[in-house]
Amino acid sequence: MEMKRRLSTDVPMRLVGTIVMLALAIVMIMPFLWMISTSLKTPAEVFQYPIKWFPSNPTWEHHIKVWSGSKSFGTYYLNSLKISIIGMLGATFLSAFAAYGFARIEFKGRGALFMVYLSMMMIPPQVLFVPKFIMFEWAGIYNTHLALILPGLFTIFGVFMLRQFFMTIPNEISESAFIDGAGHFRIFFRLILPLAKPALATLAIIDFSWQWNDYENALVFLIDESLYTVPLGLQNFILENMIDYNGMMAAASAGILPMIVVFVLGQRFIIQGLTNSAVKG
Amino acid sequence: MNNNWMKRQRLLGYVFIGPSMLGVLLFFLIPAAYSFYLMFTNYKFMNPTVRFVGFDNITRLLHDPMFYLSLRKTMLFLMAVPVSIAFGFVTAVILNQRLYLKKLLRGLYFMPYITSGVAVAFVWMLMFQPRQGPINGLLRSIGIDNPPGWLSTTTTSMYAIDIIWVWFLLGYNMIIYLAALQEVSTELLEAAKIDGAKRGQVLRKIIWPLVSPTTFLLLITGLIMTIKSFGIIQAMTQGGPGNSTTILSLYVYQNAFRYYEMGYASTISWALFLIILVITVLQWIGQKKWVHY
Repeated sequence: MEMKRRLSTDVPMRLVGTIVMLALAIVMIMPFLWMISTSLKTPAEVFQYPIKWFPSNPTWEHHIKVWSGSKSFGTYYLNSLKISIIGMLGATFLSAFAAYGFARIEFKGRGALFMVYLSMMMIPPQVLFVPKFIMFEWAGIYNTHLALILPGLFTIFGVFMLRQFFMTIPNEISESAFIDGAGHFRIFFRLILPLAKPALATLAIIDFSWQWNDYENALVFLIDESLYTVPLGLQNFILENMIDYNGMMAAASAGILPMIVVFVLGQRFIIQGLTNSAVKG
Repeated sequence: MNNNWMKRQRLLGYVFIGPSMLGVLLFFLIPAAYSFYLMFTNYKFMNPTVRFVGFDNITRLLHDPMFYLSLRKTMLFLMAVPVSIAFGFVTAVILNQRLYLKKLLRGLYFMPYITSGVAVAFVWMLMFQPRQGPINGLLRSIGIDNPPGWLSTTTTSMYAIDIIWVWFLLGYNMIIYLAALQEVSTELLEAAKIDGAKRGQVLRKIIWPLVSPTTFLLLITGLIMTIKSFGIIQAMTQGGPGNSTTILSLYVYQNAFRYYEMGYASTISWALFLIILVITVLQWIGQKKWVHY
């Protein structure tokens, strides 16, 4: 009796709930669907209403346009990949290094230094743009990739997140290594880093997505088109092709596609990392 | 000997945090101090004579109608945060029920937050196109003959940006709420059910108060993150039409890199810092109160 009631009320409820939520989810990803569909259409079909989700003659010509010629997205891609990958690797390693110091070594002034460190999160990038611009110009790295790479090596969020993680690793692990005569360097490289692999992966993925999507710093610190990253290249393409809506959407697809790949592959890590740092932070 | 070794090991702490501290010094502390100094100068790009002007920039700021306009626009922009939190909460509560395809659904709602930079701003720009865009196409088809001009009119542009921002933040708010909902004890909910509480009551009287620390956290982090962001606005409207989307953070950028008024831009940026400081202090006060529900 009980079983039967459960089945009859539960399954339909679950189905209805799922369908409603799925419909709303499709609304959420509508911009992406519209973007891809538009990039494959002919100009005449762009603004047809009702929306033609499946173009009658899908064409790749807009995508080809984006990827060829003197302003090919290939250049922007290489620039973005270079900056994002170096930044991601450097930031992840340096964050782990600092986080280990803050989490597992007791030295004088640790608390105060960590407070200084965290308080930097309060300073908005807008405060830093002008002085960095002047300093970078003086140092000769304005309008070079170094202007993005060097600051990109440091992430306060990363240190904060990994410190949280390192503090959850039981002390006994390093204590027994200590008794065996291992120093902090050996403990860090041999014990802690391998244990922290998932947390490192999480930070690396989040950091990569930030660096890839970073438009504001690139806007301030780069002027030469040959140095443009994908977001700047995209803006450039759109300014120069104001009426070519299909081309614009093909370009936008080029900008978003790597992020969708990263998202699909790394979703689990990203969600874990963001939730841990928010809930326990 | 052993003691000495221990001491040396402890000193290694400085070695570990050293590189990061150097980064903080070079890319945060020194620039911040420099910016503070610039606030009291007439620094302009390519202008060789830098003079100390005392509080001139601050007086100018307090008499600058654009500053007050940009503050109002910033408030309008920040409205997206609580709205997005509300949507995120509702979505999380529903996804926390027994549904099919939960993982897929969670992923789809969360996708905009990770994948979206400027690229998606351009997609929205076309979708909001007033005459032929698909959004107004939809509105006309359901009988709204005069749909809004969205990004193209001064009265609606900020709301169009709010819609994008709600959409962008929703997934983040949702996953944080989902994690918080996992912590709500099922025993408590069972007990409420046995006592005959209705679903709406459970939601309002039990779940909502229990996740209030999360709500507070999302509000604070959302406000701070939003107040600093001007990328999508710069990409779509450059602050226009008119000045209708010139929020404070964008106004800093415009003064610095469009008008090259770098001393004045620094002054505005410290006003922005003050707002963030106030929000952060509220967080400290709030955290103490909200930890015990």
